[in-house]
Amino acid sequence: MMEVQGLSKAFSGATAVDNFSLTIGQDEYLTLLGPSGSGKSTLLRLLAGLEAPDSGVIRLNGEDITSLPAHMRHLGFVQQKYALFPHLSVSDNVAFGLRFRAVDPVTDEAVVARRVKESLDLVGLTDLGARMVGQLSGGQKQRVSLARTLVTEPKVCLLDEPLGALDANLRERMTVELQKIRRALGVTFMHVTGNEAEAIAMGDRMIVLDHGKLLQVAHPDVVFLTPANVSVARYINAYNILEGRSEDGRFVCGDAAFPLPAPAQDLRHYAIRFDSARILAEDETASEDSACMTARFIASEFLGSQVTYILRRSDGRTFEVVRHLSREDPVVYDRDQQCTICWNASDGLLFDASGNLVSAAPVRGAA
Amino acid sequence: MSIDTNMTGTIVQDKTTAKKQGLFNRYGHYFLLAPGVIWMILFLVVPLIMMLYVSFWTQTTFAIKPDLTVKSWVTFFSSDTYFGALLRTLRIWLTVLVLTFAIGYPAALFIGQYVRNKTVQTILLVACVIPFWTSFLIRVLAWRPMLGKEGAINIVLMKIGIITQPIDVLLFTELSVIIGMVQIYVVFMVGPIAFMLARIDESLIEAARDLGASSWRIFRKIIFPLSLPGVVVGAIFVSVMVLGEFATASALSGRKVNLLGNIIVTQVGSLKWAFAAVIGVVLTLVMAAVIIGLLRVVNLRREL
Repeated sequence: MMEVQGLSKAFSGATAVDNFSLTIGQDEYLTLLGPSGSGKSTLLRLLAGLEAPDSGVIRLNGEDITSLPAHMRHLGFVQQKYALFPHLSVSDNVAFGLRFRAVDPVTDEAVVARRVKESLDLVGLTDLGARMVGQLSGGQKQRVSLARTLVTEPKVCLLDEPLGALDANLRERMTVELQKIRRALGVTFMHVTGNEAEAIAMGDRMIVLDHGKLLQVAHPDVVFLTPANVSVARYINAYNILEGRSEDGRFVCGDAAFPLPAPAQDLRHYAIRFDSARILAEDETASEDSACMTARFIASEFLGSQVTYILRRSDGRTFEVVRHLSREDPVVYDRDQQCTICWNASDGLLFDASGNLVSAAPVRGAA
Repeated sequence: MSIDTNMTGTIVQDKTTAKKQGLFNRYGHYFLLAPGVIWMILFLVVPLIMMLYVSFWTQTTFAIKPDLTVKSWVTFFSSDTYFGALLRTLRIWLTVLVLTFAIGYPAALFIGQYVRNKTVQTILLVACVIPFWTSFLIRVLAWRPMLGKEGAINIVLMKIGIITQPIDVLLFTELSVIIGMVQIYVVFMVGPIAFMLARIDESLIEAARDLGASSWRIFRKIIFPLSLPGVVVGAIFVSVMVLGEFATASALSGRKVNLLGNIIVTQVGSLKWAFAAVIGVVLTLVMAAVIIGLLRVVNLRREL
């Protein structure tokens, strides 16, 4: 439905978005993950028409909208800071787009009132129409902002870190709400976030962006289990990433070396998921097909259903091991205790010198 | 038993000291107001009451007696000269107010909305104040060689042949008073409006545009309403200063245009204190009404 081709934008020489291409389908929930400064907000502003691209084309249903001004695009943009009009009531805020848009404004106040009510019902703020914006809580403002955009029936709704300013509790509720609202309307959402858990949990497809470049776009499962690039593995914050080189069918990292899951050359990085590794008990020896390294225990973090053990490798970097408590009981280690970490060698992911994934381990449990 | 009494005694005493301390803690901060309140009562409230009181005194040619009478009030409202001055003051005030708004708002809009660099914004606002670096008298008198019969404007217009006879309504008329006042007071309109406009978050305008509104709609429905508090503050500044004006009027009208301020000056000059007090009361009431009216336009309490 919406096609983006070779979109680029630089601000006084610094590249913000670099040759970005993507096809956005109808009725899907896209999440866009990137660290701050990765150009994700700029990308959204380019799509919304709030910035002009240096090059590239944006097509909506086949029509070139690259140079169309923002108010003619029929795209919704929910701003990070909500951007509610402080001098208007909640109802008037929501009605703004219907009443005052340049193309096809709704002049019948009865229709405006009905659609505003429907929209407020949808976001669960039925009785707050008469309130002034200053009297709302953060979560309510967020919903008004969403209702104000959705009431205009945009073809694509762009959300700039919509949950960023909410507290954890509200964040979880809005996660469910956003998906419910989206399904009810059948509108495509493009949700920008810096939070990997949010991107993985909410998206039908997930885009990973860094330095303005698209690194991977796929189902969150696929991104999570087979990150296409070492940067992607880094951003989803579930992998220990070890730097080293390949040597005689082994990956050498400092004073440790592991068997490779598949023959490969010119390797630079080796990634192992936090929850694939475990710490050996003192009297235990590793099995033949496992990769092992030693590290000193620093601290552990109890998270209810799981424990994260943080260890320091001989080269000073940290290594995280996550163990789910439904499988085993938490173990107590002394600070600086020497431990052996082991994992199944076939669980390792290999990345070459340019950062790309070389061989994927056989994916277990992926859709 | 004796221990018991003792204990209750101590407790009671503790309670009273706690209460005393509580009182001071709770109301102590009101002492911060004392210097200001005392000053205002002595030099503002008391003189205002005195002015009202004196306006009912009996005035003879060279003396004034505290025998109460409404004679000065009757004279004010029955005389064309004096009542006419009231109407003229109101007319000039309204004209100057409208003109300062019409000239000041676009300038403020430029500074507040289109100049996004805070430093440049500040420089431009300071530039608005540069005329104030010369004295009031010079600024007013400089209009004479500009507007006079043989002044700059007439010479230029005659040189390029637009007029053959010099325009003589330019100086020593109501027009010249208005030109002078607008020039002096327009900056008081620009400042507060530019301040409010600069505070409007860019994301509001982007949101409105994204919702499909054209630039004019965005101005009408978002930018202008959000700048209204600035307009009201600016209008209050200009109104208070113009309504009490006398210097510009006497310097640029050749004493032909008499405002209430000019009449007060003349009456005080000829020791007609009772009559000056009447005009003083009238002027104070007019200003109060104007300020209340302007504050009704917008709820400043909510906006600031």
